[in-house]
Amino acid sequence: MFQTIVPLFVDALANAALIFFVAFGLTLVFSVLRILNVAHGSFYSIGAYVSASIGLWIVSAGLNPWLTFPALLVSAALVAALFGPLIERTLVQWTYGRGEAVQILMTFGLFLILEDLQRLVFGVSSYYEDTPVALLGSIEIGGIIYLNYQLLLIALAVVALVAMRVFIGHTRMGRLLAVVVADREISEALGIDTRRMFTIAFTLGIFLAALGGALATPTAGVAPGLGADTMVLAFAVAAIGGLGQVEGAALAAVIVAAARVLAIYLFPALDAVAPYLVMLIVLLVRPYGLFGKPAIRRI
Amino acid sequence: MPKPKFRLAMTAAAAAALMTGAGWAQDKPARLDLGVFTFLSGPSAAYGLPGKQGAELMIERINAQGGIGGVPVSATYVDEAQGAEGVIAEYRRLAEGGRAQAMIAALSSGNCLALSPLADQLKMPTIGWNCDTHQLFLKDQPDYFYRPNGNTIAEFMAYTLYFLQQHPEVKRVAIINPDYAFGHDAAEIVKATLKAVRPEVEIVAELYPKLGASTYQTEISRLSAARPDVVFSNLWGGDLENFVRQAGPRGLFRQSAVVLALGETVMQRVDLPEGTIVGVLGDGWWMSPDARTIGEAEPFAAAYREKYGSDPVFPTIKMANSLIVLKAAYEKAISDNDGAWPDREQVVAALEGLSVQTLTGTTTFRDDNDGVVDQVIGTVGRAEGVDRPVMTGMVRYDGEALLAPVGQDPIAWIGTLTPDFLADLPRPGSYN
Repeated sequence: MFQTIVPLFVDALANAALIFFVAFGLTLVFSVLRILNVAHGSFYSIGAYVSASIGLWIVSAGLNPWLTFPALLVSAALVAALFGPLIERTLVQWTYGRGEAVQILMTFGLFLILEDLQRLVFGVSSYYEDTPVALLGSIEIGGIIYLNYQLLLIALAVVALVAMRVFIGHTRMGRLLAVVVADREISEALGIDTRRMFTIAFTLGIFLAALGGALATPTAGVAPGLGADTMVLAFAVAAIGGLGQVEGAALAAVIVAAARVLAIYLFPALDAVAPYLVMLIVLLVRPYGLFGKPAIRRI
Repeated sequence: MPKPKFRLAMTAAAAAALMTGAGWAQDKPARLDLGVFTFLSGPSAAYGLPGKQGAELMIERINAQGGIGGVPVSATYVDEAQGAEGVIAEYRRLAEGGRAQAMIAALSSGNCLALSPLADQLKMPTIGWNCDTHQLFLKDQPDYFYRPNGNTIAEFMAYTLYFLQQHPEVKRVAIINPDYAFGHDAAEIVKATLKAVRPEVEIVAELYPKLGASTYQTEISRLSAARPDVVFSNLWGGDLENFVRQAGPRGLFRQSAVVLALGETVMQRVDLPEGTIVGVLGDGWWMSPDARTIGEAEPFAAAYREKYGSDPVFPTIKMANSLIVLKAAYEKAISDNDGAWPDREQVVAALEGLSVQTLTGTTTFRDDNDGVVDQVIGTVGRAEGVDRPVMTGMVRYDGEALLAPVGQDPIAWIGTLTPDFLADLPRPGSYN
């Protein structure tokens, strides 16, 4: 029993950790800006490409291989710094106050542009950079060899969740963001610079997506098409958790990952559809997601 | 002095000869344009690009020897990564726009199935350079579509028989194949072969991750948990490279014997553990004893190495062999046409029953347009004087013996085999 349950548990958490970062970013952007960013998955893949490129450069330059660990974080920060303010101040800002269809069309257009941009910059071949995995080694759990890096991912996801809670609840910036989420008009009336808050939230969302991609790189290959796959999964997680709900995203990531892992272990034919079946069931029972609440429409 | 009737006949014959000559000179094209279909982008390009490079080099070599029937060959390359609809549109555009007189298509079995009826519709001679699926000629037998490199029945029967010979104690087998026809067909063939020749073997896991998956970590856990004696996989391209890189650190290659049907394609790029069973889906191993005897593969490989900086892999050889087959068909058609340039009907007529010596063996077309080739399989190992991993412990199974007779359902045919079939085969290590 132990030998069956433990691998299921470890695999589910390791999967959830990777999905969590990107879904967390998506839900953060939605909760503050009220925008469903269809291009969010592209930042995941750009983060992965940048991290793989920097990691490969570190190795080929003969630098200390442990530098590949901070490189993961630096890659995500670079992507966020480069794209966050630029895209929010130009394209995204233009959609504020417009209909949801316009927002989705704009971000979808952005997604297509970013996909082509990646092919242009990084080419069409796959990238592999697994130095962090090699450095950390492996461990046997329940008779199965896991990578210590997978356990590190689980720990990092927990740290990110706690850090985000502390940030929102105990820092000035976080509280300001929470006020903007609660009521944009009142925030403006109180003198909060909501535009600045939007830029910060959007950039933070991109950072989380890029960080998810960067952290995935050592255990996965990076190739064109990664962004689209991730985006669909992130939407499923955000929808299950309830759009705009941080804890919801965390729990939904675990549920989606557990569904996929269970499918691979018990019903492999359902592997691809398992996350979406769960989403369907949750939304049928709770249309606003597990943690979501019906929004009051002000006229 | 000749009689008037004889003089008239002589004049008519001379005029006819002149006209034929004039016709030959006029009809012979300035060049022979080919449409070559393969994956040039995305994860599948890891398999498709060596194929394209094989085409480039072989066309260069054909042209250096005077082309085909004195006509230089040129190619338009089409990226199959655009999906079946785009591939069909490109095929049509090339065929109907007169930009190709013959096609070398395709890499993906799905695209092969889509293009095969189109070849007949557009009357376009097509060589299926990598169309391995046995479904291709199962229902319809097109006139214009030929496959020179064998099919999945012989290929995956060969792997199953090899690992049963290599690991006679095997009791538990796990399968991880891509989630489309190629992966599911292969699994069906492996299971049918096991059922026929070793019915006591149990399939303990059967996984079909989607094509282009970036991570296999959960699948690797599942495979490890199933404790198989043998893991069989026909993942390919970037997927295969990904799987090997992820499964290695997690001990899968130490826990089980691993069969990577397309493993030879990644031997130069990833560290495949010694003992991994690999093959070439046919006879396209350029270092094989037959290839050495024929003597064409080594110079081809040397030229390839010089041009592209690595050794050729079997998609390269499959592509090169396909072009050799097309060249042989044109030459036969020209010969059958008294030296005149053939039309498309004459080219496909020449392909019928054609037997061609390739770089690595012989391919012979059966009545169903399927080319019979032998199956070469081995294990990853080291050879004296070679600084990279090579195939060792090789076997060369007779291709004909691993194919169902024409018109017979191949899976049902496998079901008629008995354990004696395995006992009568050549042993691993017998082909060195």
